[in-house]
Amino acid sequence: MEKLSTDVLVIGGGATGAGVAWDAALRGLDVVLVERGDLGTGTSGRFHGLLHSGGRYAVKDPSAADECARENLIVRHIAPDAIEDTGGFFVTTPFDDPAYADRFAQGCRDTGVPCEEIEPAQALREEPRLNPRVSRAFRVPDASIDVWRLVWALARGAQERGARVLPYHEAVAVHRDGDEIKGARVRNSRTGDELDVEARITVSASGAWAGKIAGLAGIEGVQVRPGRGIMIAMNHRLVNTVVNRCQMPTDGDIIVPIRTVCVVGTTDVDTEDPDDHSVIQDEVDAMLAYGERLVPGFKDARALRVWTGVRPLFEDTKGNGDGGSSRDVTRAHALLDHMDRDGVSGFFTITGGKLTTYRLMAQDTVDAVCRQLGDPRPCTTATERLPGSHDGEYIRVEDRLGRRERHLRDDQLICECELIPRRRIEDTIRQRGTTDLDDVRRLLRLGMGPCQGGFCIYRAAGILHGHDGIDTSQANRALVDYVLERWKGVWPILYGDQLRQARLDDWIFQGVLDIEHLP
Amino acid sequence: MSPTLHYDAVVLGAGVAGLTAAARLAEGGARVCVLAKGVGSTHLAPGTIGVLGYDPERVEKPADALPGFIAAHPDHPYALFGADAVAPALEWFADRVEAGPQPGYRYTGGLERNHFLPTAVGALRPSALVPETMAAGDTNAPVCVVGLPVLRDFYASLCAGNLRRGGIEARAVEIEVEVGRVEANALGLARRFDDPAFRAAFAGRLALLLRPGERVAMPAILGLRDPHGAWSDIQRRLGGPVFEVPTLPPSVPGIRVYNALVAALRAAGARLIVGAEALGVEREGERVTAVRAHTSGHDTLFSARWVVLATGGFASGAITLGSDWQPHETIVGLALRGMPAPGEPRFAGDYFGPQPMSNVGVAVDSGLLAEGTENVFVAGAALPGAVPWREGSGEGIALASGHCVAQSVREREGAAAAA
Repeated sequence: MEKLSTDVLVIGGGATGAGVAWDAALRGLDVVLVERGDLGTGTSGRFHGLLHSGGRYAVKDPSAADECARENLIVRHIAPDAIEDTGGFFVTTPFDDPAYADRFAQGCRDTGVPCEEIEPAQALREEPRLNPRVSRAFRVPDASIDVWRLVWALARGAQERGARVLPYHEAVAVHRDGDEIKGARVRNSRTGDELDVEARITVSASGAWAGKIAGLAGIEGVQVRPGRGIMIAMNHRLVNTVVNRCQMPTDGDIIVPIRTVCVVGTTDVDTEDPDDHSVIQDEVDAMLAYGERLVPGFKDARALRVWTGVRPLFEDTKGNGDGGSSRDVTRAHALLDHMDRDGVSGFFTITGGKLTTYRLMAQDTVDAVCRQLGDPRPCTTATERLPGSHDGEYIRVEDRLGRRERHLRDDQLICECELIPRRRIEDTIRQRGTTDLDDVRRLLRLGMGPCQGGFCIYRAAGILHGHDGIDTSQANRALVDYVLERWKGVWPILYGDQLRQARLDDWIFQGVLDIEHLP
Repeated sequence: MSPTLHYDAVVLGAGVAGLTAAARLAEGGARVCVLAKGVGSTHLAPGTIGVLGYDPERVEKPADALPGFIAAHPDHPYALFGADAVAPALEWFADRVEAGPQPGYRYTGGLERNHFLPTAVGALRPSALVPETMAAGDTNAPVCVVGLPVLRDFYASLCAGNLRRGGIEARAVEIEVEVGRVEANALGLARRFDDPAFRAAFAGRLALLLRPGERVAMPAILGLRDPHGAWSDIQRRLGGPVFEVPTLPPSVPGIRVYNALVAALRAAGARLIVGAEALGVEREGERVTAVRAHTSGHDTLFSARWVVLATGGFASGAITLGSDWQPHETIVGLALRGMPAPGEPRFAGDYFGPQPMSNVGVAVDSGLLAEGTENVFVAGAALPGAVPWREGSGEGIALASGHCVAQSVREREGAAAAA
């Protein structure tokens, strides 16, 4: 069996894990990052894309609000290439308790969340589709964040500093020698090959799966309650500003404009299995109705896709772990030094928290790692810009048109919805060394537009097949897997024009190409 | 007041079903007008005539399989008009194409056996009646698949790779053509192939790459105005069989179908208005007396004794599913059939499994008369009970139901005249 040796092994390639890898690599530590799927495919890749201003927690959880407000500024500075500066509104709709608005304003003042009350008419001028019966409106610095850009920028930054990043490597055993954790055995899920990673410190940044990894290390009682939330992407940006309902956090209280779509979210339902992505029909109906409260006519847009994600809500059974529904469990992150907690050295669990505070979580974790190594080194992630972000420019939704314009005459357009030219697809296939079009999707948004891959996925499979070493069966698998994967998020929300689109795609995939009967 | 135009029959929809019903009615002497929001499904479909391709295993002989299929699927459109209605409809279609505006272009085959033609990914898809330009796809002889890098909608090496996996000796070559830009679609290239000089240059370069005894597979771009001329010219220049492979829309062979049927329609004296969206109808009791349509800049009433609804299913938007999950037929408001029961799944997570909502269509009697009306007939994909893209049955249903509707109207006209 192949062996690697490193200072820090990070298990989990979401924002937190990639953040830990980047932080540790910046401090000069040698790092190996393993992730059972592709980077950003757990909770990080399954949320609505909000970079919190902190406003959402201003009343309910002041310390979380304060944390978000500070991290929002930092992440804007270090990762603008992953952020669109949409700004955000909190608005009091006729469905909200009007008394909450004053508490909200006070909460923002108390916690340092930048917040300015504006005339409802002004909010409506900026967002004309907003419910015209809005009675109060506040402006906050919410933004939307492309999590795959963020996670890959962190990973690339870490790699540039020597880290080894291994997507599609699942931890199958954690090596424990008495009271010391010495790394893990990981399995390449594509080849089945196993690899031993020997590490001075092992960090489990596995979010909702943290209990499972702790279990591999023989540590009991690390309980992360997965709080499942549903999100629906609509086919265009019904709003260009993040719009929140000004009330206590509840179901369906936010619409986030992100890239070419907008996302309504979310719910919070206790679940047992963090890998349970089933979509409940009643939740779909409810979410569309909530969208309607913020933006009348919401339901008449095309619902492109529905998905669920699980929040990692930490409850330590070693502490006082009984608390009502999952929405009431703390949103704060939890760093467990298993030396202090269990007398086991060389092992940390970082879980809980939220994407906006991923950097702070990583900083706390690597600080503790350095302390245990007896080698304190300062954290620089609050000032060091990520690869791709050095020019300080935010994403602008119209940039893709400019890019396309530049290559109109020398490159074919393959994904028409997301304006992706052929060369970018070829480069990504080469750089990632992947035969999975879903990997390409996350980086380029391939097939994420209104046609959901109807036209571009045959093309992309043909391009993939042209690459050295990728044979016909791999190209077939890429094509069929992509279609099946897309369908999972499509069928529960099929109505209106999106059903029409899906039927056109059926005609293409089954009636014209007959992909079901590939040899 | 909207202006009113008077016809014997108004047909809604210009897909295969609507054009067939209209041409048949006009050939029988009726004054017919076709109103279409846009062009129909022809421009998306591969241009082959599928009657029954999968049940759910692949069907070798549709004529033999149809009776059993109908017995097992009593709610299927084929069960309404019977297996015997299909063959005459196919013959009529083949005749009209042959007599059509594309000189020499013809279809071959029938219900006796399916042709198994390579798709653009190299799967072998069954069809009963196929254009002559595709027929050579149905053999196991060695094949050279030709790609044009400028056409982003066809990937020769993937097609050839799958043909090889299916046991056919196949390889791929690429021919660069200059079209003045970096990408072209099938329609643009088909127009180029109408030009003999372009064809000659293309064939000259391709000939150098071919091996003796190889068939040549091309994306379906061999001419739009004169496909027979383009295809036979290329074949003559290359000295061996050449066949077209349908690929992503816009479908050139589909457009040829449309052109042939429109010509048949016009030859029979019917009128076609594309860009006339039907908005609703006027009625007297259960009789629809006129269709209201949006024509250039104003609404027009098209009064008729008979209305044929050939507007398609969910794919065309003629039947919609609301966010309340209730389906509606949008123009006449006809009763639907085939909905999953309340609380039952509408669609299912298994993409290739049964999708209950797919069976929805307009409720009709055995003469294809819509339930609750005296004079509205239904043809094509608006009928319930079929999953044509899976069954490989879409064109067979469209042609046969188009015929059946025309027959029903004639019978009623006859009965009225006798009375």
